[in-house]
Amino acid sequence: MKTDRELDPWAAPIEHLAPALRDRRFSPVALTEACLERIGASDGTLQSFVHVADSALAQARDAEREIAAGNWRGALHGVPIGVKDNYLTEDMPTTAGTRAPGISFGFYDSAAVERLRKAGAVLIGKTRTHEFAWGTVTPPARNPWDTNRIPGGSSGGSAAAVAGGLCSAALGSDTGGSIRIPASLCGVVGLKPTFGRVSRYGIVPHTWSLDHAGPLCRTVTDAALLLNVLAGYDARDPACQDRPVPDYTKALGLPIEGMRIGVCRNHFFDRNEPAVDSAVERALSDLSAAGARVHEFEIPNLQYGLAAIFAVELASSAAYHDASVAAGRQAHFEPDVRALVEIGRLVTAADYLKAEQLRAVLCEDFRRAFEHADVIVGPTEPLTAWKSGEWTVEVGGKPESVLAASWRLTFPYNLTGLPAISVPCGFDHRGLPIGLQIAGRPFDEMTVLRVAHAFERGHPWGGQIATNRSP
Amino acid sequence: MQDLLGTSLSDERFPEILAAFDDVLAEIRKLRSLDLKDVHPAVIFEPTAPYRAEGEK
Repeated sequence: MKTDRELDPWAAPIEHLAPALRDRRFSPVALTEACLERIGASDGTLQSFVHVADSALAQARDAEREIAAGNWRGALHGVPIGVKDNYLTEDMPTTAGTRAPGISFGFYDSAAVERLRKAGAVLIGKTRTHEFAWGTVTPPARNPWDTNRIPGGSSGGSAAAVAGGLCSAALGSDTGGSIRIPASLCGVVGLKPTFGRVSRYGIVPHTWSLDHAGPLCRTVTDAALLLNVLAGYDARDPACQDRPVPDYTKALGLPIEGMRIGVCRNHFFDRNEPAVDSAVERALSDLSAAGARVHEFEIPNLQYGLAAIFAVELASSAAYHDASVAAGRQAHFEPDVRALVEIGRLVTAADYLKAEQLRAVLCEDFRRAFEHADVIVGPTEPLTAWKSGEWTVEVGGKPESVLAASWRLTFPYNLTGLPAISVPCGFDHRGLPIGLQIAGRPFDEMTVLRVAHAFERGHPWGGQIATNRSP
Repeated sequence: MQDLLGTSLSDERFPEILAAFDDVLAEIRKLRSLDLKDVHPAVIFEPTAPYRAEGEK
């Protein structure tokens, strides 16, 4: 990775920006101006933002003034950060990606946004989400590595904006993989913390027991810096847990010699593109070469996971949108989201509770697996970014819907609430990024970040900015 | 049937949604085949939740 002196400010990860902003070698105003220029130049194609903050430069000027007065607030002070359009904000409209008439959201700050403001971040705008965070495509956003392809979703706008160098980091939300999927497809880092680690207060609900809040960033260190700000108790989120928040940067730079890397050989390796399998096997070899011990096993009952995630998401989504459906507003949803919301009524109460029973079984299955592993490593996605407009893909010779394919490897960590990160681990023959998923025990983000950082340090992909390779 | 399920979908729309549910139902049938009667679901009722201190963050 280049040093901050060699990088344009908009291309620098926060780990480089923070000391430079603190020491006034970089200006928050110049940095924000550079991001706004890049949004102006690139976002007509990428369509990653749905709203750019009128106050962005004013926020940057405030940060510059405070820093000049010796009141540096920390690593995010003066750093431009995008906010997924399902987080409520007091000074920007929230749409949750819908244009349906009769649906509106309040103007107040979600808990995560409150924390970012307190940390002095420049909230540069709202990033595009798949409608109601219910999908992995995020139309019409484009992947900055190939603008003929999708960025993933539902936090596709956040991933595209970070990968394209339009902001330094962005907030995402993850119900079945919506932080990690776009992170993998756009070649950035995406962290889904443990369920209960980061408050979801003020995020438009998708599925109450599966929704997670977290960041998309350029490096693992940046993810740790964001988590330091975002993590913490909030009584307004019933699922939030009152646990100490460590300094997550303390996990970085530690050796992984002797650590136990678990590899779950069923489910996660059943049907992936060959390039994905190759990249992940190389990553496992690299971790082994760094002194970690790789331990392979199988986890039972994962074959029932798709039923469980469908039952819980569909039923919850139907309940959330019940009034809208009764009023006929769902007729104005996009066709894919409309169908998913309407289908929810067909999930019976017994099936829903059976899905919740299966989650308890899976939590125990993973607990047993973690008796032999400090982290579980595998692919984030079975495939790389597909072309815009494709709703069926072929993976391992079998056609399947893009939703079924893209969340297969991520939803186990939503059903179990475990922390999981996606870090870049290479490219396929088309030059499209591949992601490595690293998961840990509940509230053990420290170990997840430690292994992710150790892997990132040995490779050139940390902090990368996308180069459009579309033919 | 729509009334039983509590859905207001029209007679034209309802069969389309039933058809779209087919793939999901195939998965749910696998789940139904499991005997989980001894497993407490992951949903846990917590009666103290409303008593969390006002304004506690």
